[in-house]
Amino acid sequence: MADTRLEQTGVQGMTITRTGERPPAGQGELLTVNFGPQHPSTHGVLRLVVDLDGEVIRGVRPVIGYLHTGIEKQMEALRWQQGVVVTDRHDYLSPPINNLAYALAVEKLMGVEVPPRAQALRVIMSELTRIASHLVWLGTSALELGAMGVFMYAFRERDKILAMNEEISGYRMHTSYIRPGGVMADATPRFLEMLEAFIRQMPSNIDEYEDLLTNNPIWIARTKGIGRLPAKDAIRLGATGPMLRGSGVNWDLRRDRPYCGYEQYDWQVAVEDGADCYARYLVRIREMRQSVRILRQALDGLPGGPVNVDDRKLLPPPREELDTSMEAVIHHFKLFTEGYSPPPGDVYVAVESGRGENGCYIVSDGTHKPRRVKFRSASFVNLQALEFMAIGHMISDFIAIIGTADTVLGDVDR
Amino acid sequence: MTPVKLPEDILDHGVIAGDEYLTVARDRIRETLQALKAQGYESYVFMTCVDHLATPVVERPPERFELVYQLRNMETHHELRVRVFVPEDDARVPSAHDIYAPANWDERETWDMFGIVFEGHPNLTRILMPDDWVGHPLRRDYPVGGEPVDFSEDHETWQTAPPEA
Amino acid sequence: MGVEQLVELLGDNILTTTVSKAIGWGRANSVWPFQFGLACCAIEMMHASGPTFDIARFGSEAMRASPRQADLMIVAGRVSQKMAPVLRQLYDQMPEPKWVISMGACASTGGVFNNYAILQGVDKIVPVDVYVPGCPPTPEDLLNGLMILQEKIKAQGIKPRL
Repeated sequence: MADTRLEQTGVQGMTITRTGERPPAGQGELLTVNFGPQHPSTHGVLRLVVDLDGEVIRGVRPVIGYLHTGIEKQMEALRWQQGVVVTDRHDYLSPPINNLAYALAVEKLMGVEVPPRAQALRVIMSELTRIASHLVWLGTSALELGAMGVFMYAFRERDKILAMNEEISGYRMHTSYIRPGGVMADATPRFLEMLEAFIRQMPSNIDEYEDLLTNNPIWIARTKGIGRLPAKDAIRLGATGPMLRGSGVNWDLRRDRPYCGYEQYDWQVAVEDGADCYARYLVRIREMRQSVRILRQALDGLPGGPVNVDDRKLLPPPREELDTSMEAVIHHFKLFTEGYSPPPGDVYVAVESGRGENGCYIVSDGTHKPRRVKFRSASFVNLQALEFMAIGHMISDFIAIIGTADTVLGDVDR
Repeated sequence: MTPVKLPEDILDHGVIAGDEYLTVARDRIRETLQALKAQGYESYVFMTCVDHLATPVVERPPERFELVYQLRNMETHHELRVRVFVPEDDARVPSAHDIYAPANWDERETWDMFGIVFEGHPNLTRILMPDDWVGHPLRRDYPVGGEPVDFSEDHETWQTAPPEA
Repeated sequence: MGVEQLVELLGDNILTTTVSKAIGWGRANSVWPFQFGLACCAIEMMHASGPTFDIARFGSEAMRASPRQADLMIVAGRVSQKMAPVLRQLYDQMPEPKWVISMGACASTGGVFNNYAILQGVDKIVPVDVYVPGCPPTPEDLLNGLMILQEKIKAQGIKPRL
């Protein structure tokens, strides 16, 4: 009886297999193909040099650096408070979360604790950004696998989130909202109304995405069993975020190394055991639902009070004080000409972004500019798992695997 | 939190701003990392380099380059930083890519940005800069570059290399 | 039938124009962008093709992945030293007539990043028709830039650009 898994073609030495099954090695010549830096499906300027045996991938070599911006060098040339603007732009799908990592690191080094209202607003912005980031992932991944309609649905919701960003900070994307010492400005009443309407509407929108994809036989055929990353390999390769939780590893920085008061909210970490693209899809959908849950609690329990720490060495005094107090004028002058100087030392703070562990390691030499700022990039490390996940799959599955890794090249190249 | 059993031959150990660190000699880095990994520090967070050229702090670091490895124990949630000081004239360190797999690209990036050679690395080539780039951009004596901005005092202060201390 | 009756019969259905204007009108309303999203501005470009801002009503829905099929290169994002030769090669591969919109501050002048790694303006390597400032520009800014480009294309007509 013929082997139902393999079909022999008329051409000598070539075999055709179904998706996900590894053909016998050594059959046929290897063809090296360049997935150039400009490609619709590489989620940014990622270059992948792929060795193909027919349609099956035998080797992947990512070439990065096409978006290297010199952010870390740039931050050494700017003052501590000026650096906040630059931090927005490395992981450009989650700017407030990047700001948060930097702000927490500076505050940890200076030994400063922000007031509770600022912490709640930081949590609100982080969760909104997490949803926005997952919506881009959902829209683009589905678009590449053929589900163009999901792109439109996802970006409809994302526009609502960006409108909220614009309301609270003036910017749609690079908000620079979270700064060392607190946040940029208090939430306006209109922002709180928009947030309430969003929280009410979003669960049914997530239901719409799930209706389109979760039980869709085409989606399941294209993502189930693709891109397997077993748990021990995920930890060995340093993967974090949905790449790790989709493999069954129960690790989330918001719960395990909490910051900004996450321990006071009641929510669940999304973990799935499948270790394939479908499992990661489920993890991200569940994370969006849990983010809405956290937003509900944060909005309901939003404390009153100031949004900035009352430390004149870190933040300028209110403008009215400049008329009456000489000390206020001196503080204002010092902060705007020279800026503040954290004590010498180094510190590392990590936050959970949509992609995984996004951390900021700062080294201060006691001056008003950093000695070194290093961003621990989730995408940089997750991308190294791509080769492991892709070997043995076909080119069309490779697109699904690149999508599931959810890498942002700005974060990879910095 | 179980206290970490420190290797015997560390040069320094302390806590700064809540982060625990230990300093080891360059030739002991592989043994230290292996020992820590065996104790449960299996999660590699990052590795980077700091250039202490012309640093104004009172206590001068022993060498110009400082390599920093951040490790984490996912059971106890404890993080540990391992420091290695590397001299400027002999900037070589044994590679840790076979102990922790993500160190592979971090070491390539450190070579690209700082010029530190990792002995035993399988593919120590440029990763972020173009392959034919000359110089190591994140060193402190490498200028920030870009275009001069007319009438700006700020631009001058960060375009020139820092004066030798 | 005499000419007068013909004109009376068909008068409202005939337009007279020049070939140049007709071609300019045709080109302007069917500009196919080339997907050259590099960084953050690419996300706003995606929003511009999303439901809220809808670039399709300007004729630009078909974002082509291949330079051979595109008219307009929207350089959306910062151009690094490693990417610059790739950008020039792709620009050269686009057939005439072609236009370039430099979207965002980084593509126009280098933006926030005045350093060794970023090209201080994409106009150093390709000729730019419209600069759209912003960091990132909102999708409405991009659509405004596209409309300005459409006026430029209509005015150009069939004159070849040297």
